[in-house]
Amino acid sequence: MVVTMENILKLTKINKSFPGVKALTDVDLEIRKGEVHALVGENGAGKSTLMKIISGAYHRDSGTIWFDGKEVEVTSPKQSETMGISIIYQELNLIERISVAENVFIGRYPMKCGMVQWKKMQADAQALFDEYELPINARVLVQSLTMAQKQMVEIIKAVSINAKIIIMDEPTSSLSGKETESLFKIIRKLKERNVAVVFITHRLDEIFAVCDRMTVLRDGCYIGCRDIKDITKNEMITMMIGRELTQQYPERDSRIGDVIFEVKNLTDGGRHVKDVSFAVKKGEVLGFYGLVGAGRTETMRMIFGADKIAGGHIYMNGREVKILHPRDAIRQGIGFITENRRDEGLFLLSSVRVNTVMVALKKILRRGFISYKAEREAAEYYVDRLRTVTPTIDQRTMFLSGGNQQKVVLAKWLYSDCEFMIFDEPTRGIDVGARREIYEIINSLVAEGKTVIVVSSDMEEILGISDRILVMHEGRITGEVFKEEFSQSRITKHAVGEEVTG
Amino acid sequence: MKQDNMTEKNGKNYTDIIAKIADKLGAWLLIIVIALIMTFANDKFMTGSNIVNVLRQICVVSIGAVGVSFVILGGGFDLSTGMIATFAGCISANLAVNYGWNLWLAILVAVLVGMVIGTINGLLITFLKIPPFICTLGMQYVVNGLILVMTKSVPITGLPDAYLYLGRGYIGNWLPVPVVIMLAFILVGHILLRYTVFGRSIIAIGENETASKLSGLNVNLVKVMMYTFSGFCVSCAGIVLTARLSSGQPTSGADLALQAIAAVYIGGTFKGSVINTLAGTLVWGFMNNALNLMNVNAYWQKVALGIVIIAAVLFDTFRAKLATKQSS
Repeated sequence: MVVTMENILKLTKINKSFPGVKALTDVDLEIRKGEVHALVGENGAGKSTLMKIISGAYHRDSGTIWFDGKEVEVTSPKQSETMGISIIYQELNLIERISVAENVFIGRYPMKCGMVQWKKMQADAQALFDEYELPINARVLVQSLTMAQKQMVEIIKAVSINAKIIIMDEPTSSLSGKETESLFKIIRKLKERNVAVVFITHRLDEIFAVCDRMTVLRDGCYIGCRDIKDITKNEMITMMIGRELTQQYPERDSRIGDVIFEVKNLTDGGRHVKDVSFAVKKGEVLGFYGLVGAGRTETMRMIFGADKIAGGHIYMNGREVKILHPRDAIRQGIGFITENRRDEGLFLLSSVRVNTVMVALKKILRRGFISYKAEREAAEYYVDRLRTVTPTIDQRTMFLSGGNQQKVVLAKWLYSDCEFMIFDEPTRGIDVGARREIYEIINSLVAEGKTVIVVSSDMEEILGISDRILVMHEGRITGEVFKEEFSQSRITKHAVGEEVTG
Repeated sequence: MKQDNMTEKNGKNYTDIIAKIADKLGAWLLIIVIALIMTFANDKFMTGSNIVNVLRQICVVSIGAVGVSFVILGGGFDLSTGMIATFAGCISANLAVNYGWNLWLAILVAVLVGMVIGTINGLLITFLKIPPFICTLGMQYVVNGLILVMTKSVPITGLPDAYLYLGRGYIGNWLPVPVVIMLAFILVGHILLRYTVFGRSIIAIGENETASKLSGLNVNLVKVMMYTFSGFCVSCAGIVLTARLSSGQPTSGADLALQAIAAVYIGGTFKGSVINTLAGTLVWGFMNNALNLMNVNAYWQKVALGIVIIAAVLFDTFRAKLATKQSS
């Protein structure tokens, strides 16, 4: 773990403006050889702009860039890649229908007499996976891999072109706890081989787990660079949001009533959900924890009618209900905030106003016709109540930040008067400040007597927000943990399917 | 978002204002430009009779394009409309002339047949997941065949005067009946799209089908119904066309499907208003008229109209880019 103090990449006084917007102001960034460097900041702090300048996708207005001791001009993504800078975006850049090996060597297939040497290519790719102890077969098609494995392929691709810096944009946002651990293992291996890693994340625990230093950006400005070993979590949050955050999980006075909703022996035929039974009480926040693929989202989608139920019974207020379509669930007062906000929750090209009334269109009808006045009033009410930051209610939702988009999704369900809300990964991709607001909204919902299920892969979140936690593993509920007995180790054991005694 | 506020404060220069006006007016701007140029270039253009003439020419396409607007906004496509229109026209003519049916009953049945064909399109596309382009392409040939079987490729003439009134009549000696029918369709289409749950659902489904389903919209029903509605509109267009031509012509509507689609794209109906579809057909009509008045060869007219379609969509893409660029 020797970190040489030599810089591999250094940026000084970087400025970048877009028409009418100053995106970066005098930003500095210093990455040392073989270090893991966290780049943090709230959404809109300028992280992606900075990244795009490093990769050559944007051109800076002023400032200098040094790479490996020399001042350089980065003019195109191709050039930065040749220099040794690789970026792994959240949306991975792999071709699904060709093999892993071809993806690794894409554009650089080993050739002999004008023919591709497939054998050599596969062997070379496999050697790299073996070197990093990754259990991936280089011959299989990329489409057969999990998200985590695809990410590993991207990393190996970067390694194979001798990247000196690998920039990872929120690599853990779609990974489970276990997968995150194996990513960290790879990162440590990269470090041993003197490759620098720039790690962009919203999860502070991960910074402590794997990073050496961190640079904080806020509102396009450079706030500071610190050694991780010299900083506390609270200091980190203060740097990021510019104020002290008293407590991340707001206190709640739970008043839990009778069982409002119950599921018995729910199954999708054994693919993801094998046998799930549970009950939720009025006014409760029930947490669902599990590794990715444990069947949590699939369970919730069935309850909401988004996917077909193969077997089992659903009871609402003690009466059995049939849910064949989301409309049936909505009629029963169930709301579903999906994990995939942009594709499944929002109409990105449409305005805040249109999105707000989408579930409860009937409520804005006057004599059978849509009343634009009623629609505006509804949208304005929820922008006010949820403190959604938007210039007007006619703003397209694609221009809002992640946290504000989530509030629009919430508004849509609140306006539909649902009594029972299922949140699937409610804070994924949302920055620290906005997270707390989402938690506060959840609290205010249960305070009004509504009932909430939170599905989350974030251990800290699930412990912080729930009254009770159910843990799923391979399509079954493997543990139930009450607030008094909350502990990370116990929940993790349930999640990996270990027997828990006592 | 803070950034947008800043854009609005700082970026108010002339190009921005022009861009904004162009964005608001869309295809109407094109109509104004054509009208201005032609007013000076040719003294026959800005006369009452010429304008009414243009309106009469675009009636059939406009009526059909109202239905096509819904399909395209809803994320679908309909190539079969021209043949459905022709079929409806020929059925009504056939029933009224050869079978001596009551005229209105004949028209009603013809329109119902058009709606059934549209519904079949909708069912195939929605439930059997056939791509709309292919499905309606196939349907176009099916209906074309049925028309030829029914008419043996011979025009049906001798329509009653009441029928002809729908295409050639005037109200108060100056207002053509088909223009009134067209305006009624535009108005109903506009209200349906802007002020009903059906219209809202169409726009939502066109933008994001998954989110629509998860928001509890009845996606399948709406998708089928938009093809039914398209069938309804184009059948009515076919009736007016038959009345205008005074006969059920087996080949009359061949160009209608593509003209209606072109009108939707030229008009920029994507901004969510059927009135833009009217702008689309007006651009088409005025272009035709202007080229005629300037004695441009009919073959070259086709070239010019084609260019207008491409240019209009290009303009719209450019406009959409401007609209989504404000934040980066």
